Amino acid sequence: MFQNYIKTAIRSLMRNKLFSVINIAGLAIGLAAFILIILFVKDEFSWDSHWSRADDIYRLENTYIRVDQPDRASPNAVDPLKDIFFETFREVEDVTRYINGAMTLRNGGELFAQPVFFADPNFFDFFELTFLEGSADTALVNLSDAVISKRTAQKYFGDVPALGRTLTVRMGDEYRDYYVSGVVEDPKERSSVVHDFVVPFNREDFVGARWFTEDWRFAIRTTFVRFASGTDMDLIRAELPAIVERHLPKGQQGQENGRNWSMKLHLVPMQDIHLYGNDANADPDVLFGFVGVAVLILLIAMVNFLNLSMARTAHRAREVAMRKVLGAGRGQVVQQFLGESVLLASVALLLALAMVEVALPYYSEFLRTIVALDLMSQPALLGALVLLGIGVGVSAGSFQATYFAMLKPRDVLYSNTSADNGTSRLRQALVIAQFTISVALMIIAFFVNKQTDYARQLELGFKADNLIVLSGTNNRRSNEFKARLLESPFITAVGRSSDVPTEGSEDRLHIRPATGGEPVMLDGLPTDPDFFKVYEIPLLAGRFLTDTGVDVLRDRAEEPVYAPAANIVVNAMGAKLLGFETPEAAIGQQMPVDMSSTLRIDATIVGVVGDFHFDSARDVIRPGIYYVDFVRNSDMTVRIDGANREAAIAHIEQAWRETYPDNILRYRSMAELVESQYQTDDQLGDVLLAFTLLAVFISCMGLYGLASFTAERRTKEIGIRKVLGARLGDIVGMMIWQFSKPILIANLIAWPVAFYFLYSWLDGFAYRIELGLLPFIGIGGAALLIGWMTVAGHALMVARSNPIKALRYE
Amino acid sequence: MLKLHNLSKVYRTDEVETAALNSVNVEIESGEFVAIMGPSGCGKSTLLNIIGMLDSPSSGDYIFMGENVAGYNEAKLSNIRKQNIGFIFQSFNLIDELTVEENIELALLYHNIPASERRERVAHVMDKVGIAHRAKHMPSQLSGGQQQRVAVARAVVGDQAMILADEPTGNLDSAHGQEVMEMLQQLNAEGTTIVMVTHSPAHADYARRTINLFDGHVVTENLRAAE
Repeated sequence: MFQNYIKTAIRSLMRNKLFSVINIAGLAIGLAAFILIILFVKDEFSWDSHWSRADDIYRLENTYIRVDQPDRASPNAVDPLKDIFFETFREVEDVTRYINGAMTLRNGGELFAQPVFFADPNFFDFFELTFLEGSADTALVNLSDAVISKRTAQKYFGDVPALGRTLTVRMGDEYRDYYVSGVVEDPKERSSVVHDFVVPFNREDFVGARWFTEDWRFAIRTTFVRFASGTDMDLIRAELPAIVERHLPKGQQGQENGRNWSMKLHLVPMQDIHLYGNDANADPDVLFGFVGVAVLILLIAMVNFLNLSMARTAHRAREVAMRKVLGAGRGQVVQQFLGESVLLASVALLLALAMVEVALPYYSEFLRTIVALDLMSQPALLGALVLLGIGVGVSAGSFQATYFAMLKPRDVLYSNTSADNGTSRLRQALVIAQFTISVALMIIAFFVNKQTDYARQLELGFKADNLIVLSGTNNRRSNEFKARLLESPFITAVGRSSDVPTEGSEDRLHIRPATGGEPVMLDGLPTDPDFFKVYEIPLLAGRFLTDTGVDVLRDRAEEPVYAPAANIVVNAMGAKLLGFETPEAAIGQQMPVDMSSTLRIDATIVGVVGDFHFDSARDVIRPGIYYVDFVRNSDMTVRIDGANREAAIAHIEQAWRETYPDNILRYRSMAELVESQYQTDDQLGDVLLAFTLLAVFISCMGLYGLASFTAERRTKEIGIRKVLGARLGDIVGMMIWQFSKPILIANLIAWPVAFYFLYSWLDGFAYRIELGLLPFIGIGGAALLIGWMTVAGHALMVARSNPIKALRYE
Repeated sequence: MLKLHNLSKVYRTDEVETAALNSVNVEIESGEFVAIMGPSGCGKSTLLNIIGMLDSPSSGDYIFMGENVAGYNEAKLSNIRKQNIGFIFQSFNLIDELTVEENIELALLYHNIPASERRERVAHVMDKVGIAHRAKHMPSQLSGGQQQRVAVARAVVGDQAMILADEPTGNLDSAHGQEVMEMLQQLNAEGTTIVMVTHSPAHADYARRTINLFDGHVVTENLRAAE
């Protein structure tokens, strides 16, 4: 019997080759797109799942909360929390911590940038890492021990055993030798803990560093806590505020902010760190957006499949009726058509997997990541895909199966009219659904890309091209290095600041406006006098600061102190916020500025500069205040001559080698920093566009199939119309209108849906495009045009056919 | 074999109610050859469908082999039908995707008969209707007469006690029509009950009894003397 089903199914498919190709290929393309998107999203959600007992491990993170200031979220935790956790929770099995340092390493006379973990001794036990050389017990016994990964060993020593070999790391002002005491397996892909170079933590190495504290001021320790299996984390989390309440010292001398600050503790499950940790580097909303698109595409492909199968209903009805006359029960009919549908879906799935395999390299490049499909090693994924195939087959086949199960043989075997009357309305609805999704996606893709372009073209307020940002210059040789850089004809300006544009400022300074009233808040930025010159931020009134006298708030010294009074610069928004009508009006005005809750200085505005973006383009430009503080100039920005970029960078490298021979040069390009801000939205836009085109393509395949089918079904009707006097134009018009209706209705549904989605999406942008009606109309028209082009061929063919032939056709 | 008592069939659409059959009383004995005649729309096909259990009566009784099947559900009817009744249609209704052999075999597939026996019976019946040389052909490669012979073979391959033929010669020329009629007569002679709807008085003459329908009533029943 099964053989018979398959035989009928295959022959029926062969008889309608075009139909079958469209049907299977459409579903295959949809499935392939679905699988591609899901593979990527699955990877993003599967970070850190490879650790043993990953479910019991949490990263302890701290977020500082300050009154009238933005929260400062850290992926790390403060030092005292380890002991407090052990004391407070019986459920804590173990805690391990490390400080992640970007170090300079010397090997064979060459310098390398090497991230180093300064870790607790239990690090390897905690993460259950496998030792290839040495063992966990003896790995971090001596302060000069170092455990490196296999690839690190490969990098520095090649294929010879690394155990006992020496690597030299710059610590403070000196180089220190470490001896390789163990080699562990490489960090796995998609891992938040990249243990390429681990040395024991030694507090002596850090005491004296400005940021190193063993109290609650700086969260510097990446802290992982393992709880006993089955611990009720809700209860643990409920305790966290009380821990802060009990242990955080209040108003104590030496605290950076004595007044009104607190802290929130978070326990982030190991597997959530990548997406939800305080340093999350992916946006789960975007990922969910991708899943949404994937589901929509699959839906379109399934609708296509279903629709084309339904269109064949009339053709298959006679067969089913006859089978029923011969004794087939409902169950058997359902079985036959579900089976057939599942078979088709399986073929489509195989085809889809082949497409995925071919597309993966391009896809990975497109997403700037590595997406792989390895079914043999992932039985769960294989199972899910098989289920997907069966699911798609069953859900698409169930309509047809139900229809046929209910079919009365008498209606088919004795009737002259075609049997597809019952399904034509459903088919119409399905086409509407398809085009609704397609049109909505087209509109959304259009505006998302438009917004991304718009954000990119926003006036940043400074010139981002040809700017190189260096770090590691915030030291006593800073001035010397700066002067050395400026010797080159290809370097036009050098400026320093505590942060650079795109990073945002965390300092919020309170100033009472000259006109009186409540204090207002401005973003503070420590700079050196050349900051505005290098970024080419225009001066609107007054003058820039200099590096002498009252222009300097704090100079570099053994014990740096703030001057009680200093000249400052504000931006135009800042001047306005402080109550000045024009930039000029602000010049020479004096006002007290709270640098922190314990430090107030008398500031005089000597210059007003243009507004510029310091945060992401998603945020508004904020009022800003700028002052010379040589102590906090950790970034040095260099403007180079774009035409002689190579020479300029060569000069920077040369100057660096001469000034800082023991350190490795680290630099970033400002243009890339700016660009990377748009990356998420860019990616969203690209993916949306690509998959939208796919959705439209699949929809058109469906429409094409339906048109060819209708052409076949309506030859008789059209023959009669022609006999009765209809002209070619009338017939083509009629056919076109038949297919225009569902697209028009789809537009009516898609517009508000797309509008609603875009309206809330754009809400996240401070500077956003407007949702004009024109693109909606344009895209609706385009959809209609695409629809017409798809069906026009068939319409013409039918309209041209000889009526006599049509009427004799049986 | 079967007995219809006061059987009526009413078709309802949104606006109109049409009585296709009105208090029909018919009795057909085992081994009979009955022709049903009458003008278009008189209810011939409806009557045949109800006898064939493809349709249910609106009221009245239908006693088939001693069982009143009038109120049976589709599954039960389907079961009785496949055991006892074969069908022949004017438009043949062969399945386009299956060969001659497979079309005939289809009638056995729903009977849980082992494959070897199915092959034997299909071969036998193909011989009987003279279509064996076309066993591997598709219906579209056959003439109308040949197609109808396949349909006849399909109707009898399951050893059905009764064959219902709805204008079996309607789509055939006279030579092929006669061929099919002779085949039916042969089957009747071997003991199969045959009920046939026809427009052709000549073909009705093959039957031993003719039921004339008009507007849903049985008007006359003519019994022909055995020749």
